[in-house]
Amino acid sequence: MNEFLEQFVIECREQVEQATADLLALEKSPLNIERLDSAFRAFHSLKGGAGIVDFDAMAEAVHGAEDGLSYARKGTVAISTTLIGDCLACLDQVIQWVDEIARCGDLPKDASKEAAAIVARFSRGDGMGPGADPRPEVEQPVGWVATILAKHPDAAREAQCALRYTPSADCFFSQEDPLARIARLPGLLTIDVSPVHPWPQLCDLDPFQCNLVLVVLSSASETEIHKALADILDRCHIEALEATVRRPASSLSLDARSLLEAQLTLLESTDGDDFAGKVASAGAVAANVFLAQCDNGLAISIEKATAQSLAEGQTAPIARAIEAILFEEAAKPGAPLPFGTEHETTARALRIDARRVDSLVDLTTELTVAKNAIGHVVALAQNGDEGLEQLLKQRFAVLDRLIGELQQGVLALRVLPLRHVFQRFPRLLREIAAGLDKSVNLVTEGSETEADKAIVEMLFEPLLHVVRNAIDHGIEDKAARLALGKPAVATLGLRGYREGENVVVEITDDGQGINVERVRQVAIDRGVVTAEALAAMSEAQVTTLIFEPGFSTAQSVTGLSGRGVGMDVVRTKVVRMGGTVGIESRPGAGTAVRFTLPFSVMLTRIMVVSAAGQKFGIPLDAVVETLRVGPDAIARVGAAQAIVLRNQTVPVIDLREALNLHEGDRRRDAILVVANVDGVSSALRVDVIGERFDAMLKPLEGLLSGTPGLAGSTLLGDGSVLLILDLTELCR
Amino acid sequence: MTVKAAVNGIVVLSGECPSEDAEPLHRYLLADPVPTVDWRTCETLHAAVFQVLLVARPHMVGPPGDDFLRRLAGHLPR
Repeated sequence: MNEFLEQFVIECREQVEQATADLLALEKSPLNIERLDSAFRAFHSLKGGAGIVDFDAMAEAVHGAEDGLSYARKGTVAISTTLIGDCLACLDQVIQWVDEIARCGDLPKDASKEAAAIVARFSRGDGMGPGADPRPEVEQPVGWVATILAKHPDAAREAQCALRYTPSADCFFSQEDPLARIARLPGLLTIDVSPVHPWPQLCDLDPFQCNLVLVVLSSASETEIHKALADILDRCHIEALEATVRRPASSLSLDARSLLEAQLTLLESTDGDDFAGKVASAGAVAANVFLAQCDNGLAISIEKATAQSLAEGQTAPIARAIEAILFEEAAKPGAPLPFGTEHETTARALRIDARRVDSLVDLTTELTVAKNAIGHVVALAQNGDEGLEQLLKQRFAVLDRLIGELQQGVLALRVLPLRHVFQRFPRLLREIAAGLDKSVNLVTEGSETEADKAIVEMLFEPLLHVVRNAIDHGIEDKAARLALGKPAVATLGLRGYREGENVVVEITDDGQGINVERVRQVAIDRGVVTAEALAAMSEAQVTTLIFEPGFSTAQSVTGLSGRGVGMDVVRTKVVRMGGTVGIESRPGAGTAVRFTLPFSVMLTRIMVVSAAGQKFGIPLDAVVETLRVGPDAIARVGAAQAIVLRNQTVPVIDLREALNLHEGDRRRDAILVVANVDGVSSALRVDVIGERFDAMLKPLEGLLSGTPGLAGSTLLGDGSVLLILDLTELCR
Repeated sequence: MTVKAAVNGIVVLSGECPSEDAEPLHRYLLADPVPTVDWRTCETLHAAVFQVLLVARPHMVGPPGDDFLRRLAGHLPR
């Protein structure tokens, strides 16, 4: 995507955010002229932007909404919920298009139809004036496609995509070879070459002026072609030939295929005890495969099938879903995304305060000085000078300070205000509350509190989950609220603030609170804890049981919460960000859920351990001690192992067994790493304990994201990848 | 150079013909009223070179060695 489009995408998102906020405010107070003007301006800028980059369909749709708002400004039409809803629908459509543009640089093929549908919303014959003219749907004549299809009937049967590439006349000077470009295209079936302008006489020909139009049929998907031509899309017309088959299974990469097949094998071998684990793991991997391929629709259908499998206790639903996709039976376009469950895979551009960049530039100057100073030391060393040690120590101290500053400076670049995630909630709340016929007022506080970009972006999903739960289960319906003497409109608070090195995000509601008795009952029924353990728990401890896996008090599965995943997902996500979750409940008065998150993705101290020759990292902050014990010290307790450590029984987890690694011999003595996870000690048996160092943890991405048992990865000094174990998962 | 005129007056394209070949090829083809080009050992052809062939329409001795080039052959006289 060129810079121009990138800028356009950024601005579109900002305008949509602005317009959404304005429209929601306008819905509450229809007389607020300033908000109306501001929304109008946002639509107007959107239209202008779309016009400049030649996305006519988008300009047309936004123009429709702009017309609607302009009549509202003139007072010809009233500001109604319908008008606001229509404008919001237009913005939804714009965001979908913008996502598509960000992905492949152009509007989808059917954009003009969607635009017409939006325009129609604003021209329902309610006297809106000129905007009410039904706009005829303009179908672009696509003669060249028909020509090449007719010319090559055989290739036409296989072709999924037609491409017309008109290289610029001076493209040879910029090292572009259009023929080589086409030769490299995936799935090439035919190529037709013709001149842009009629050919001159041979003697008048300038061989270095390109005068070619290349028309191609390909059996590759539109997406693949888009990818291959990413840098010259502005000179290409790409037409998908079968709109009904949007993403057939043949577009799966080999890696993806073999991963999916491996999941099927895993599912076949599933029996009895490890059923839930294997199904969940296969589902997560399969869903990741599709997320990595940007197919959210398929990923969601896999997630649904996983939930169904878990609920029915059979592998069939998930296995069928994977098979169907593998063998092209279900190569239908994915179901539309349920609102608010989109996954943020596309990297968004970051706007950075110029002052922050300036301070980094200053820092580079200082670093250059420090480098030169070391050069001086090198020269001294070459001359055989004595007493270099002191000098080197000084230089090291300077470098240490500068690199520390650089690290802080760079982390500060990645800082975003919580507003980025908070501002999505007014809109969501409108939908969720309407779906449940509850009135909820959202109060946000501290939305300018800053946190690392990664944290702000990951925050959305757990927050959404808690908010849904609060509205669905926490807040009573209107009648019940009135009967209790509460205001009919409930209040939901979203609050962010800094607390030392942490960022705290609080979600409060004034609903019925958590019914501790009911939690006790369910925890016992579902085997989350034993009766003895429960008896020893305080009320606050019982309340936190709702974050345990397998716990969900939803008596009926609604479309909103209770989709087979409970609050344990919230805790998993927050813990993955390096944070903790707390909950406070006052019966009858409300609930507060609190996420305590690190301010930035900080350096973590890592200890390297190895098992069966493979190295893994363990976050050192969880490690309490390491010890070597004789083989007799470990006792078998049923199927598990344990040791007695200072009069306390500590379970032993053998890393080899846990990770299914069985290569090589192991020494007789056992090396144990005792770790404290959630207040419980566990000992991890490893083969060797290695070095310790500081590392910046990267969360796993792409196909590996969400792999159970792994917290992230980092690079070792020799350049190899070190996987960091998730002790919580291992010790569970 | 991957374009050269053989003694018999036939212009031979061989190996990977870069854009720089377009100019000498253009000269050879202008000089010969009934030009012939042998591209049997040609592996790739820069678009600039192909463009010269399209305008000059010489008699082509083929087929060329490469799959992609064989697809292009239809645009040139045999």
